[in-house]
Amino acid sequence: MATRVVVDPVTRIEGHLRVEAMLDGSNRIQDAISSGTMWRGIEVILQGRDPRDAWAFCERICGVCTTVHALASVRCVENSLGITIPKNAEIIRNIMFLTQMVQDHVVHFYHLHALDWVDIVSALKADPAATASLARSVSPKWPLATEGYFRDIAGTVKKFVESGQLGIFQNAYWGHPAYKLPPEANLMAVAHYLEALKWQKELVKIHTVFGGKNPHPNYVVGGMACAIDLNSDNAINMERLNLVKDQITAAINVVENMYVPDLLAIASFYPEWTTYGGGLGNYMAYGDIPQNGIADVAKFRFPRGVILDKNLGEVLPVDPTDPEQIQEEIAHSWYQYPNGKTSLHPWDGVTEAHYSGPKTPYKELDETKAYSWLKAPRWRGHAMEVGPLARMLVGYASGRAEFKEVVNAALGKLKVGPAALFSTLGRTAARGLETQLAVHWLQDEYDKLIANLKAGDSATADTHSWSPETWKPESKGLGFTEAPRGALCHWIHIKDKKIDNYQIVVPSTWNASPKDGKGQHGAYEAALIGTPMADPKRPVEILRTIHSFDPCLACASH
Amino acid sequence: MDIIQQPLRFVPGETRFGQRYVWDVPIRLTHWVTAFSVITLFATGMFISWPIVGPGTGEPANHFLMGRVRQVHFASAYALMFSFIVRGYWFIVGGRYARSGMPRFWDRRWWNGLRIQILEYMSVETGPAHVGHNALAGVSYVVMVGGLGMFQILTGFALYSQSNPGGFWDSLLGWVIPLCGGSFHTQMLHHLASWGFVIFFILHIYIVLFGAARYKNGLAGAMISGEKFFREGDLDL
Amino acid sequence: MASQPSTYDLIRQHGIDRRTFLNYCTRITAAMGLGAAVVPDVVAAMENKPRIPVIWLHGLECTCCSESFIRSAHPIAQDMILNMISLDYDDVLQAAAGEQVEEIRRRIMKEHKGAYILAVEGNAPTKDDGVYCTIGGQSFLEILKETAADAKAVIAWGSCASHGCVQNARPNPTGAQPVKKIITDKPIINVPGCPPIADVMTGVLTYILTFDKLPELDRAGRPKMFYGQRIHDKCYRRPFFDAGQFVEQWDDEGAKKGWCLYKMGCRGPSTYNSCSTIKWNEGVSFPIGSGHPCLGCSEENFWDNGPFYERLSNVIVPGIDSTPDQLGKALTVLTVAGVGAHVVSQLVRTPKNGASPEK
Ligand code: HEM
Ligand code: HEM
Ligand code: NFV
Ligand code: SF4
Ligand code: SF4
Ligand code: F3S
Ligand SMILES: [Mg+2]
Repeated sequence: MATRVVVDPVTRIEGHLRVEAMLDGSNRIQDAISSGTMWRGIEVILQGRDPRDAWAFCERICGVCTTVHALASVRCVENSLGITIPKNAEIIRNIMFLTQMVQDHVVHFYHLHALDWVDIVSALKADPAATASLARSVSPKWPLATEGYFRDIAGTVKKFVESGQLGIFQNAYWGHPAYKLPPEANLMAVAHYLEALKWQKELVKIHTVFGGKNPHPNYVVGGMACAIDLNSDNAINMERLNLVKDQITAAINVVENMYVPDLLAIASFYPEWTTYGGGLGNYMAYGDIPQNGIADVAKFRFPRGVILDKNLGEVLPVDPTDPEQIQEEIAHSWYQYPNGKTSLHPWDGVTEAHYSGPKTPYKELDETKAYSWLKAPRWRGHAMEVGPLARMLVGYASGRAEFKEVVNAALGKLKVGPAALFSTLGRTAARGLETQLAVHWLQDEYDKLIANLKAGDSATADTHSWSPETWKPESKGLGFTEAPRGALCHWIHIKDKKIDNYQIVVPSTWNASPKDGKGQHGAYEAALIGTPMADPKRPVEILRTIHSFDPCLACASH
Repeated sequence: MDIIQQPLRFVPGETRFGQRYVWDVPIRLTHWVTAFSVITLFATGMFISWPIVGPGTGEPANHFLMGRVRQVHFASAYALMFSFIVRGYWFIVGGRYARSGMPRFWDRRWWNGLRIQILEYMSVETGPAHVGHNALAGVSYVVMVGGLGMFQILTGFALYSQSNPGGFWDSLLGWVIPLCGGSFHTQMLHHLASWGFVIFFILHIYIVLFGAARYKNGLAGAMISGEKFFREGDLDL
Repeated sequence: MASQPSTYDLIRQHGIDRRTFLNYCTRITAAMGLGAAVVPDVVAAMENKPRIPVIWLHGLECTCCSESFIRSAHPIAQDMILNMISLDYDDVLQAAAGEQVEEIRRRIMKEHKGAYILAVEGNAPTKDDGVYCTIGGQSFLEILKETAADAKAVIAWGSCASHGCVQNARPNPTGAQPVKKIITDKPIINVPGCPPIADVMTGVLTYILTFDKLPELDRAGRPKMFYGQRIHDKCYRRPFFDAGQFVEQWDDEGAKKGWCLYKMGCRGPSTYNSCSTIKWNEGVSFPIGSGHPCLGCSEENFWDNGPFYERLSNVIVPGIDSTPDQLGKALTVLTVAGVGAHVVSQLVRTPKNGASPEK
């Protein structure tokens, strides 16, 4: 008899996700479904509104990957209206994009993912002196590696535990056999959990400088609202730039000397997780971080492409404008399409909710019927995985030197081959490696901004097509980006100065998608299949693989 | 309807034919204060909404254009409010014309008067000449000036109260804003209602001129002299 | 609960000395906008109280309020979570998942009946039995009602929980409703903003912990200490507003000089929030400070007050969708046309020899 394990809510994610896994007799997952259990209808709400306002609505799709929807949105409106943004605006947007990516990845690793690998209670047994020497060996340059420091942290943990009020740490899976770290590594990770929490709020000040706040900084169609005038005390000036620069320097330190070393150290204790959780083996990236305008795809720092069936020998081209390539299906989703259609390209997309699941409260979903608020996007009919792993693989397979360098270095450290990348741990590692690239790109983009200012260009916005009077009666466009969780694209139809249709396909829609009409699983589902569980009542293994994708369900269903 | 039979005064040379003293001083005074403040409020209000000219570059401390226009708006607002208070008071204690034209929705004769007045303006039928306000005029003053004006005063002072939370106007009118659906909506409604005065103004001036031309009743100057005069006919008084 | 250590005990046990502790108390007192006179009260409260249990629910939302919360600078989120409150249930940060989490919620509700604080982020869909947001197979609508029943007070985080926010914007496909429309028998503190400022969030919590009472609220149920005044009345660009110096277009001369954003659609004149005083992310800037007009994100229904870059929104009644001035001008033209038509009709019909109506 197959056991059915239900995890709902899946915690330490954004939004509301439910996983149901069917285990075989030896407690190995033989089938799984992933269900998004919330929907807000942002695509419906956008209809009829001013396209220049869309970014603000879209940004509120998610506060965790805050910014990326705003970016995709202004890009799709600009694409539709034929606007080319000034160089400074492109660079500032790149800086904001990278800032978000770095912050999001670090927070994901420490605050959302780490507790799958780190046993806080075991940290109580750690010896502060031994922890300090472990920390120094893992990262010789990180200054907070003294015995006293770790004794303080151990004290914090101890008193916290002794207070009897365990807060967010109560009733968890401490002591589960799947935890493999020695107490010292656990203590070090707890310390860095707290350090990362303190630091992440500093990095986002870059958003505040350019966008006025974080979460949810401001964008405008045509560029950025923050004017630059080095001789004004009321615009982006030297002091503002210095603030940005300092944060970038600090970020490089945190990522190189804390995050990536921690990641590799922890990974080395879990070699078996380079064999579980691979899943689909199909990867897709739209590419991003333009260096010469959004139209010049070849110059993106993140290259574009598709890898099918783990074949690193070939990178296939992707075109999100092509109705043959991107389609959304609804066979297992709580939506309906007109005229019995089963799949639509987003430019012709329709969002009409149609709940057909069980009446609440319910115990189980029926995987043969519709079971999720996510649609199922497909590329040429294939289910795809998107995200850091997809980006690193596309970069690697495209032969980009910087990608090869970081990936090979990490594989060397862990003493595994490239095949290890197709796994839960591979996904988690790819996120860290990409962050390593991202912090340096952040520095590069900053330098570019300074160089451009030096050359006398201070423009931040193109306003030629700002006024709706200048618009064509009808136009369409799309705006893509590589959000932290993967390929994101917004498609817009503008008619009579208003949004006629707006469709969003989000990275987590790809990854967390339900099955399609052909019964093909989405990436989460596929990745869970084959994983053994030590104790089905305490689903640590499910959490590990699901968290390796960094789910965002508010994004996914929107 | 309060019809008082009163002989017309015939003193040729001194008074004109059918002359009546209708609008006593408080009515004339409040009329003109109201008229000037409404015009000023509309003009300054529209400027506040979309300041078409500015001082251009220069030290902000040397300019106070927007501030000044707002001050004028607020000064006129007080004028309008006091004018309304005086007119309201006079409505109660003033002479019989002070209450003329007051809509009497419960009175069939009032409805009949309204119907006749409309038909008269359409030159279909003729009714009596009115010494005070006819039913149509009365209802338009009460609704278009009285009602709209009250609405502007309420929303206006509520908006005004925002810069001094807990102050006099806030404690008096703070309830208006949530009732209107928030600060932004209150402002929207205040703005939208402004246009009502433009429409009233056009119709009002036209009818005054039309009345003067058609009936030779001296309406064009009546709010200055207080006198109306009639050539002949049934006067409702 | 009496045997549990107070905030101060915990801080002391963490090896923090009394001076730092007092310093810390002074900082949070300042953050709450209170004078130095109340610092001793803060100190006393921190010394004597066990951590209050908090259940933090998530409904239809973008989780940006949580993200904002962890950006708090004084106190930092770590202090808040480890030393000041007992964040017992929060599915975004919780270590446990699934059944184990729901078990915690039920236990806290029972063990701390009437004593826990319910913090709500996001809101509840009310259409179709709430199927647009379920957790553990239960509708969020039910969970919210159930968890509020025994709460001491409810904090509605952000514009979602306070006002409905983006999912409640026209046509509100899921029937999303803010907390105040669903919970009517509990004190509710609305902390609007999309998201609220981090230090406002922690300020509200520390106020409750320190003074053992709920903050004074305004008519809209918002703490006066953070929502008492409009952005506009304390905006550093106000001198330009009064002078009449406005940004007319992105990146123009005025934009570089930091002139007033009124004509770019700034909602500061109708928005109550702390952005122009506390500012964002440890005082680095705020929307207007970085050249973008305020969207009014802490105001009721602000999403339907667009277009954001116009000063006024459109008048939307069936059949009409225009700006107030377009509507006003159209009505004016109609009136003038009506008057013109009347003049013409009178010229045609009036007998030449007498203005008096015929009997
Ligand atoms: C926006 C500007 C104006 C407003 C708001 C306004 C308002 C009013 C109101 C409320 C009344 C009724 C008086 C009362 O019962 O207290 C009235 C009557 C009158 N107004 Fe005006 N008025 C305006 C402009 C003018 C102007 C410019 C004239 C002169 C040409 C004028 C001439 C009259 C006359 C003659 C009457 C008496 C009409 C009658 O006998 O029925 N008004 N007006
Ligand atoms: C006939 C009467 C009135 C008219 C036509 C009028 C018109 C206007 C208009 C068009 C605006 C601009 C609204 C916008 O687009 O933002 C405005 C703003 C305003 N009005 Fe009036 N108004 C009238 C009476 C009043 C009164 C009685 C008050 C009471 C104080 C008042 C107070 C205000 C305030 C406070 C503002 C906002 C201006 C600011 O603070 O920047 N108004 N008015
Ligand atoms: N999935 C997703 Fe997002 C991201 N990254 C957006 O596009 O998280 Ni909220
Ligand atoms: S209030 Fe705004 S920021 Fe907070 S959850 Fe709602 S949409 Fe997100
Ligand atoms: S920028 Fe906005 S809030 Fe500031 S003064 Fe101008 S209108 Fe007011
Ligand atoms: S948009 Fe929101 S963040 Fe502040 S300045 Fe306006 S209330
Ligand atoms: Mg979509």
